Amino acid sequence: MSMHEITIKVNGKPRRLAVKSNELLLNVLRDKLFMTGAKYGCGIAECGACTILKDGKSVMSCLVPAVAADGWDITTPEGLADGGTLSHVQQAFIDHAAIQCGFCTPGMVVASTALLNENPDPDEEYVRDYLRGNYCRCTGYVAMVSAVLDAAQRMKAE
Amino acid sequence: MNNVAESFIGKNTPRSDGFAKVTGTMQYTSDIIIPGMMYGALLRSPHPHAEIISVDTSAAEAMGAVCLTYKDINPVVYNERSVSIPAATYRDRTVLPNKARHFGEPLIAVAADTEELAFKAVKAIKVDYKVLDAVYDPAEAMKPGAPELYKTIYLGDKRIDVQNNIGVVRNIDEGDCDAGFAKADRIFEHEFELERIYHNQLETKCATCKPEPDGSLTVWATAQSIHANRQLLGRILNMPLSKINVKKLPFGGAFGSSIQVNTVTPICACLAMKAGRPVRLTSAREEDFYSHQKYPALFTVKMGVTNDGIITAAHVKALIDFGAHQVQPLPFMGCTAGWFASLYRYEGNIRFDGTAVYTNKTPCCAMQGYGNPQINFAIESMIDIIAEEMNFSPVDFRLKNYRGVGDEFWGQGPTIRSIIKSCGVEQSLVEGREKTDFDNRALPHEKTGVIRRGIGLARGFHTSGTAGPKEGEVIDYSSATIKINEDGSVDLLTPVTDHGGGTWDALKKITAEVLQVPLDMVGLSPAETMNTGYDVCTHATRGVYCGGAAVYHVAMKVKERLLEFAGRLMAEHHYNLEVMRNDELRQSVVRVKNFPSKFMTVGDVARQAQIMSWGTMAYTDSYRQRNCPPCFTTHFVEVEVDTRTGIISIPKVLIYGDCGVAMNPDLVKGQLVGSFNRGYGYTVYETMPLDENTGALKNNGLLVDYKTPTAMEMPRIENVEVVLCDTYEPSGPFGAKGIGEAALASVQAAITNAVYNAIGIRFHKLPITPEVVLKALKNKEQEAGK
Repeated sequence: MSMHEITIKVNGKPRRLAVKSNELLLNVLRDKLFMTGAKYGCGIAECGACTILKDGKSVMSCLVPAVAADGWDITTPEGLADGGTLSHVQQAFIDHAAIQCGFCTPGMVVASTALLNENPDPDEEYVRDYLRGNYCRCTGYVAMVSAVLDAAQRMKAE
Repeated sequence: MNNVAESFIGKNTPRSDGFAKVTGTMQYTSDIIIPGMMYGALLRSPHPHAEIISVDTSAAEAMGAVCLTYKDINPVVYNERSVSIPAATYRDRTVLPNKARHFGEPLIAVAADTEELAFKAVKAIKVDYKVLDAVYDPAEAMKPGAPELYKTIYLGDKRIDVQNNIGVVRNIDEGDCDAGFAKADRIFEHEFELERIYHNQLETKCATCKPEPDGSLTVWATAQSIHANRQLLGRILNMPLSKINVKKLPFGGAFGSSIQVNTVTPICACLAMKAGRPVRLTSAREEDFYSHQKYPALFTVKMGVTNDGIITAAHVKALIDFGAHQVQPLPFMGCTAGWFASLYRYEGNIRFDGTAVYTNKTPCCAMQGYGNPQINFAIESMIDIIAEEMNFSPVDFRLKNYRGVGDEFWGQGPTIRSIIKSCGVEQSLVEGREKTDFDNRALPHEKTGVIRRGIGLARGFHTSGTAGPKEGEVIDYSSATIKINEDGSVDLLTPVTDHGGGTWDALKKITAEVLQVPLDMVGLSPAETMNTGYDVCTHATRGVYCGGAAVYHVAMKVKERLLEFAGRLMAEHHYNLEVMRNDELRQSVVRVKNFPSKFMTVGDVARQAQIMSWGTMAYTDSYRQRNCPPCFTTHFVEVEVDTRTGIISIPKVLIYGDCGVAMNPDLVKGQLVGSFNRGYGYTVYETMPLDENTGALKNNGLLVDYKTPTAMEMPRIENVEVVLCDTYEPSGPFGAKGIGEAALASVQAAITNAVYNAIGIRFHKLPITPEVVLKALKNKEQEAGK
């Protein structure tokens, strides 16, 4: 299978890569760039564990061929914090005990970040609806919805 | 040194793995990448029942793949689950079989340099099958002439002939049921049925195995018990346990699906040993659906009740379809009997007749509750049925009959029992009835309109661990190592795994509380089988209660040494010394009782002990609990049933949890809310019908066709109330017992009891999907029209 050279900006840094045309962005991130924050959960964009940001909007990386991501500016779960300082969403997830096994957490935090990028002042219904595409078997979601609403308040207060 | 620092037991503290989890830097098994690693893939059976006549792997090998078939493996017959003693463990499987017994069963494994090549190699393998008739229904499977899954299996070292696919029969009889029923004024008998569901843990089962230059093997595996994995791999590979090292890692959910050694792990180990290179074997989601599922159950429940509301006897018959391999239906049925026996007193007259049957389906294993959610649905439905028929208040009827303080509780079947010492049942029922105005709820016939609202309750429990005063069928002990470092910080080493409920933080808190060091001065050391003593498994809600008890015991021994060393240094008898936390110094200090100005920090004691060559203040030991206290839950659920669509929604829930002293209340509440979500799915959505022509799941293992409640279906934040009962468990570390599995037990019946209150229809079979509800509403309408 033919190889393609692509350039992706990952968490602010340009990365040049040679990828096959059937390689998925999720696998390239995990196996070639060793950024394992985005997770495999279903492979069919049903669970959201692989969610990343493209230009601040959420994308399920398990369905994107890596060649199609040429030129993209993406943020993975590893790129949300500013060094040791967590983003408001990340900190709120910890403060609201919205984490259990933690396997959905990176994708959930990324999706919540995208949500607040789109709507900095969401109500509860908006958050519930937005997060329905991210699957969590542990928490029952309620603490996550609280965390996102609180993160919105924290961002406003800033 | 007068200031006394506040205890953090029972307080919310931010979870210490939070930073890693929100930044995506927590490393799970599926994140392990090793230079030179090969990728594994499996050829899974396309038939529900077939003998392998011949296998040709030459084309795959020509592509550079390493192939593993039943001919390559050591034919050790084992059970993947090893928490029961060997004499109570049935064995029926090998690493790879020469006969497929369910669709999707792994038959041949390959490893190749890339995942793509591994998949291509699987496709290039030629297998000739002799396809056999399959049987899916347990009642059919027991009939003469039904397809036979096994001729012989083993129980312990005994060889056993399998008759009519019956895997296990378990009958338990206590008291005098006949006399109990004779005493009753009314006898009730009903059937209840629960389908198979799938764990759906977000991380699919995975293993990475690396052969080392000295002939040993390093293993990273999704596992609830690292030692169970090591011991089984040692038997299969015929290697000393000192040559197999299994690493402890977090896992992305398990819910019981990794109590046993996952099927992929021995396959991966054998592949790596054959290839002589590291191999990673990850299950795709559509494969994971076929690895393990929750036990379905069919119960017939009979109860005798007197006119004054005393249950005088109860008899449960159970038929369990456990699929193609035994992942221990023997203890499953013992436990199911135990949960049944421990819910109410029945004047001690109980009978349980259980039969578990092989079918050509995916093997069943524990899933949060080990029979408890199943039998709880039956018993708690039955209690409501009786209460209505005999005109008792559902709350008072329960209060009159429940087993509480001073009564016996079966923590893990008939051989593991202890006396209940703490109990939140009364608080839950009495408070909950007031908060929900339960006694004034409208009755079904009083309701009108297209959307009918109802409220229901159910109560349940689970054990905390599997230890009793006497040892029984189940192994239960844990181990820990604790040492005080030369700056006063503390290292904690424990084989106990954490499902994400916060067990590791709880173990750190117990250590910190005993030694009075600040919480962030306790470090959790990386643990693996080579540097830890045995722990049976984080199952049976035993992490904090049993694992924590081992940590408490070892920490107390370290404290003894600390006081002894400090006494020598301070020229004081150690009886005169006490240990206090000092948050200003970020240290624990040892001070003279009633003379607080005379003190040393723990760091100074450790440093002096080092300079004087006395040694490190450290201790390692194993510890076994001697009780199995129940953690209780009660659910008050409000439902809305749309009579036009049959859709059930849940606008409000009130949950009571009794975990003794909560190590971290918010994390306990989180477990109760998460379990409510899973119970909601179990009751209303989750089903996995089979295509009987192919033996495949109709959803083909795709999540898109396995509906669970999302953020949208959960009640709104203000309508989810969780109350933790005010109890103290005297046998637990700092008053703690468990909560994990209890949190699910009573959800199902609470929802169906509420649905009954809404529309006057009693559902005896789960799930109650919109189609089921609509059909029942139509039937009711037709009957009313007659």
